[in-house]
Amino acid sequence: MRGKTLLIRIAALAVCAALAAAMMVIGRGHTLYFDNKTIEDYQGQEYKAFERVVVTVKGEEVAKLGKRERGMATWIGQSFKMTLEITEKKGDEPRTEEVSIQLPYGVDGIVINLPAYLAGLPEEAWFSEFVPMVEEEPAEEEPLPGEGDEFGLEGDLGMEGDLGV
Amino acid sequence: MALIFVTDWQIWGIPGVVLAMILSVPLSALLGLMCGKLMNMAKGREMILGYMMNYFVTGLYQLLVLYFMGSIIPIKHASIRLPRGYGIRTTVNLANMRQCLDNEFAILYKGVKIPVLNFIIIALLCLFVVWFRRTKLGQDMRAVGQDMEVAQAAGINVDRTRIISIIISTVFAGFGQIIYLQNIGNFPTYTAHSQIGMFCIAALLVGGASVERASIGNVFLGVILFHTMFIVAPRAGVAITGDAMIGEYFRVFVSYGVITLALIMYEIKKRRARSQGGELLARAQREGGVQS
Repeated sequence: MRGKTLLIRIAALAVCAALAAAMMVIGRGHTLYFDNKTIEDYQGQEYKAFERVVVTVKGEEVAKLGKRERGMATWIGQSFKMTLEITEKKGDEPRTEEVSIQLPYGVDGIVINLPAYLAGLPEEAWFSEFVPMVEEEPAEEEPLPGEGDEFGLEGDLGMEGDLGV
Repeated sequence: MALIFVTDWQIWGIPGVVLAMILSVPLSALLGLMCGKLMNMAKGREMILGYMMNYFVTGLYQLLVLYFMGSIIPIKHASIRLPRGYGIRTTVNLANMRQCLDNEFAILYKGVKIPVLNFIIIALLCLFVVWFRRTKLGQDMRAVGQDMEVAQAAGINVDRTRIISIIISTVFAGFGQIIYLQNIGNFPTYTAHSQIGMFCIAALLVGGASVERASIGNVFLGVILFHTMFIVAPRAGVAITGDAMIGEYFRVFVSYGVITLALIMYEIKKRRARSQGGELLARAQREGGVQS
């Protein structure tokens, strides 16, 4: 009986650990940035920006990009899918492409250069990590609990000056 | 704390909520165990002990969150760290899991969103409570809640039962907090725990629960009445005095007045029962003495 109870407990623990691991994989969020920018010199070749790209993710239009523009979308999981409606040059008929990209687990913000990706270039050409600028704030910190002036009395208790004399 | 980790690890949506719940279980169980052991050491003084323990655990939590997170416990994202490099900001943004449970399977009816998944979770928890009450442990808990001495005499391990019940309630409180915060969409790091506890107790007691006994019906009635007060009180304040804040003061006064009244009534009832018991015992002893 004791052994059986121990087994059940270990199994419950294993199920919880497996569920947590699964959640960590399927719930990993990424922010994706789509660039419609010309790559001027990749191995001696130029890849021009499209006239217009409409990015649709999960049936929702997330960006309409002209030349030199950037769009953004969020995605949960590593298998990213989007639909692109591409107008290559002014006056051209737009063509639609379904795109699937395997996202790296450890990267939060991913910048995808669409002209380079659609030209079939290797990952180094179209993929880069988005690193947000960390604003260095001066030594003055936001007030912590119990710190600061909760009652708005700082510097003015009605006692300053000549006390009305 | 589980929510802070999940936000730092960038686990979004329902998986983030589930992961936070799983991570909260060992933390809640450990704190519940500690709380239960201390409560057993101070039987009969649980209320004041609970009140003081709240300050102790809040201090411990603040030490962990303000000084250990980011310095000893790794926190990767600068957006949730204080500008000094360690410690957590006063508010953690949960935008990426905001209302994820509420929106899943939600039905829009005449502009009102019905959060179906939340209702399913609540229904499952109610079923769990109904089932649990019928188990041996559930019956033991009820017996211990009604009279510890009688329960002890009946062969129930009172201390163990009390510890288990406190662990279970702490774990469920953790789940409740996570569900509540995913609805709000941000996590007030240093005040969230105190807000929700007060609301829960107030809603339960407004719903007719007592210190000794609370039912599922009390919970639903309390939640409906408490929410109604949130909606009605400011409007009543505007209608009567022209100031919504007057209504808000009235709501606070009534809500917390009910808690105070319930605690006073419980204490009076307990003392009255004790004195009646004493009188009965004295009478029985007198009658026994006359007969002999």
